[in-house]
Amino acid sequence: MESVRRKDVPVVTVLDPKFKYEVAREPGGENIKYCFQCGTCTSGCKVAELDSKYNPRKIIRMVILGMRERVLSGDFIWLCATCYTCHERCPQDVRIPEVMNALKNIAVREGYIHPAFRAQAELIAGHGRLYEVDGFANEKRTDWGLTEIPQGCPEVAEIYGITGLHDLLSGGAGGKV
Amino acid sequence: MLQDTGKEPRIGVYVCHCGLNIAGVVDVEAVRESARFLEGVVVVRDNRYTCSEVGQKGIADDIREFKLNRVVVASCSPRLHEKTFRTLLEKSGLNPHLLEMANIREHCSWVHYDNHEAATGKAKDLVRSSVARARLLQPLARTKGRVLPEVMVIGGGVAGISAALYLGGMGIKTYLVEKEPSIGGHMAMLDKTFPTLDCSLCILSPKMVEVAECENIKILSYSEVEKVEGQVGDFRVQVRRKPRYVNEEKCVGCGDCAEKCPVKVKDEFNRNMGTRKAIYIPFPQAIPPAYVIDEHNCRYLTQGKCKICQAVCERGAIEYDQTSYVETIEVGAIIVATGFQPYDPRGLPQYGYGRFPNVITSLDFERLICADGPTYGKLKRPGDSTVPKRVAFIQCVGSRNEASGGAEYKIDIDEEMGSSAGSRDPKAYCSRVCCMITAKQAFMVKEKYPDAEVYVYYIDMRTAGKGFEEFYQRGRHEGIVFLRGKPGEIEEQEDGCLRVVSEDLDSGCILDLVFDMVVLAQGLTPPEGLVEFAQKMNLSRSEDGFLMEGHPKLRPAETAIDGIYLAGCVQFPKDIPDSVAQAGAAAAAAAVMCSKESIEIDPLGPVIDDKLCIGCKLCEMLCPYGAIKVELTDKGPKAKSIEVACKGCGVCGASCSTKAITMKHYTDSQLTAQAKAILEVV
Repeated sequence: MESVRRKDVPVVTVLDPKFKYEVAREPGGENIKYCFQCGTCTSGCKVAELDSKYNPRKIIRMVILGMRERVLSGDFIWLCATCYTCHERCPQDVRIPEVMNALKNIAVREGYIHPAFRAQAELIAGHGRLYEVDGFANEKRTDWGLTEIPQGCPEVAEIYGITGLHDLLSGGAGGKV
Repeated sequence: MLQDTGKEPRIGVYVCHCGLNIAGVVDVEAVRESARFLEGVVVVRDNRYTCSEVGQKGIADDIREFKLNRVVVASCSPRLHEKTFRTLLEKSGLNPHLLEMANIREHCSWVHYDNHEAATGKAKDLVRSSVARARLLQPLARTKGRVLPEVMVIGGGVAGISAALYLGGMGIKTYLVEKEPSIGGHMAMLDKTFPTLDCSLCILSPKMVEVAECENIKILSYSEVEKVEGQVGDFRVQVRRKPRYVNEEKCVGCGDCAEKCPVKVKDEFNRNMGTRKAIYIPFPQAIPPAYVIDEHNCRYLTQGKCKICQAVCERGAIEYDQTSYVETIEVGAIIVATGFQPYDPRGLPQYGYGRFPNVITSLDFERLICADGPTYGKLKRPGDSTVPKRVAFIQCVGSRNEASGGAEYKIDIDEEMGSSAGSRDPKAYCSRVCCMITAKQAFMVKEKYPDAEVYVYYIDMRTAGKGFEEFYQRGRHEGIVFLRGKPGEIEEQEDGCLRVVSEDLDSGCILDLVFDMVVLAQGLTPPEGLVEFAQKMNLSRSEDGFLMEGHPKLRPAETAIDGIYLAGCVQFPKDIPDSVAQAGAAAAAAAVMCSKESIEIDPLGPVIDDKLCIGCKLCEMLCPYGAIKVELTDKGPKAKSIEVACKGCGVCGASCSTKAITMKHYTDSQLTAQAKAILEVV
């Protein structure tokens, strides 16, 4: 997608007409083409209330138009809180949170991983959990008669290897976002 | 007819509230009281609903009790309830013409809703003037008119065909007049129909065959209505029969003539994109299935030599000596189904139709995608016969456009192209069918060429109809991209591709895209010559230019003229099912009329005083219906009224220089009294 700016309005000259089919083939993205842009999703979206950068209607619009790179490289597809309010209300059964998952899956395969998710993935790889359990915490646990929590978790690394997450995280294109 | 004449007027005045329609604006009690002491008024009342059972009974009781001999009802338009109250008078022993209505709703409360005081004043004026006229009303004897049990349907498209079939099926002799060589209309030009994607001719041609086979229907093809005289039950229609130069009875449609004919011309049925011969049949399923010679292009008829077709016709069907003639047909009712003409997008030069070969209209598209079209169903762009990979559709071309279009651009365009393309003035109304036509056509592109990119530029998608929204949804699912935002112009590139810039309102982006072909969804406009046609028939047109129905809700297939009915797009753009439904309604209304043995005719028309008439012929010259003629009598030349042709318009009465003509029910004294009363200062 080639894009130049004209008085703050993006001017789009090239679209990828196959992108909408690609998303529709991805699990979760099947119904995306039914969207007729009514805006019910955005009207009830709690994330959109906090940050207008996340606008589910517009994201779906960009997919249908074929703005592939802008959608996959943007951080907005990662902002969905999966509360499923839009999913409940969408009159065309587009299943927006699942569309977002589909988009995230495609984005990750293309090497677009949001830094926040990369950091989380790395934390889990290192500690088996999202936060590091230090010696102080284990001491406290011992005082209270609880077992110590292991500091590393080799099984997670093994899962990362089997599922391919390890390759994705260390892949050349990784961390574009 | 007691109480009618020769006695002092005894008038009852009834002021209607019409719920709050009148009473919400006009002070009805004040209007009632203003009439109480007018000359001749015996009783005044106000009613919540005068047309109701209670309201009507009150009037009937008063007629008896107060010996009323005139009634004034101040309520709605006489178009709604004049008949109701005239019937009431008749039942109560009064001549129905002793009723006078003051329209204090349409002419008063509705238009002056923002000024109650002035509206009340005007209502008083209207009632006073009605009372003044009522004092001078005279009973009139209605005459009986004959009813011919035959109907003429003008226009042989799907609406006319359906109406004729309904009537023929009821055993009513029906004449189906079509100006083209074959019936079928625009529907015959369509490839498929929405939302079911039935092949258009596959569903139409059985009906066309049925028309040809129905013994009650006579098809008058290649014929045009020139003149209509008479009135409900008894119309005389003059039909101009154009020469086919081919004997319809003898021709079997073998096509030998066309094969040998040396003259090739543009084929208007294929929107001038292919060619036909000078002797031709518009399309293979044509009804009647007879060839026709195009007299403007036939070598023999223009240059006096050739006659090849006559030589090859084994049936001897070619008749070069045929001439045009007028046939007069008498019918009891007429159904007008003359259809529409597609909007000609050359009126909006910013889209380049007529200049850029790869910009086509929706009707052009139908021919291009049709198996029987110039490309045998292969979608090829006209510029270079390549199959387009990127196709855009632009909606509302010529519709929903208040402006007069690009009149300021005067661009030299090929006048020959699409001579039947129609009106170029953009229209304010929504043409109703284009959204679905576009959705269908976009779908057909996807169906034939799944890899094609198809975009539809729209303002609103209007898909209200059975199965329509589902079809639109299916189109989206097939991958058609609908773009909200109408492009301002189309630019042609050197390779014939078309650059289209628009604002995508949904994403907020400016889209600057290039297409191989652009299809303009042309609107539907009133058919060519409708203005003159309406004048011939004395029919009104609505602001949009189409023929006006009797009532927008309750008489959608009737007109203001008794005995003339409407079917199809001549009333307003509509799709095939709606056209067929209206044709059914029109046929039913015409059948009801034609099943009567006789009808009562309102005795409106001129009374000519022979002593005053000087035979100046002014009335004869001015009468639009040829209903008054000056004849030589033993007292010299005198005007004579031809009652069956008269429509009671009053031109003769108004123009008569010696006041020899008095219009019944609208006498000079009645109208003067009415005018004076309204101007009276009270």
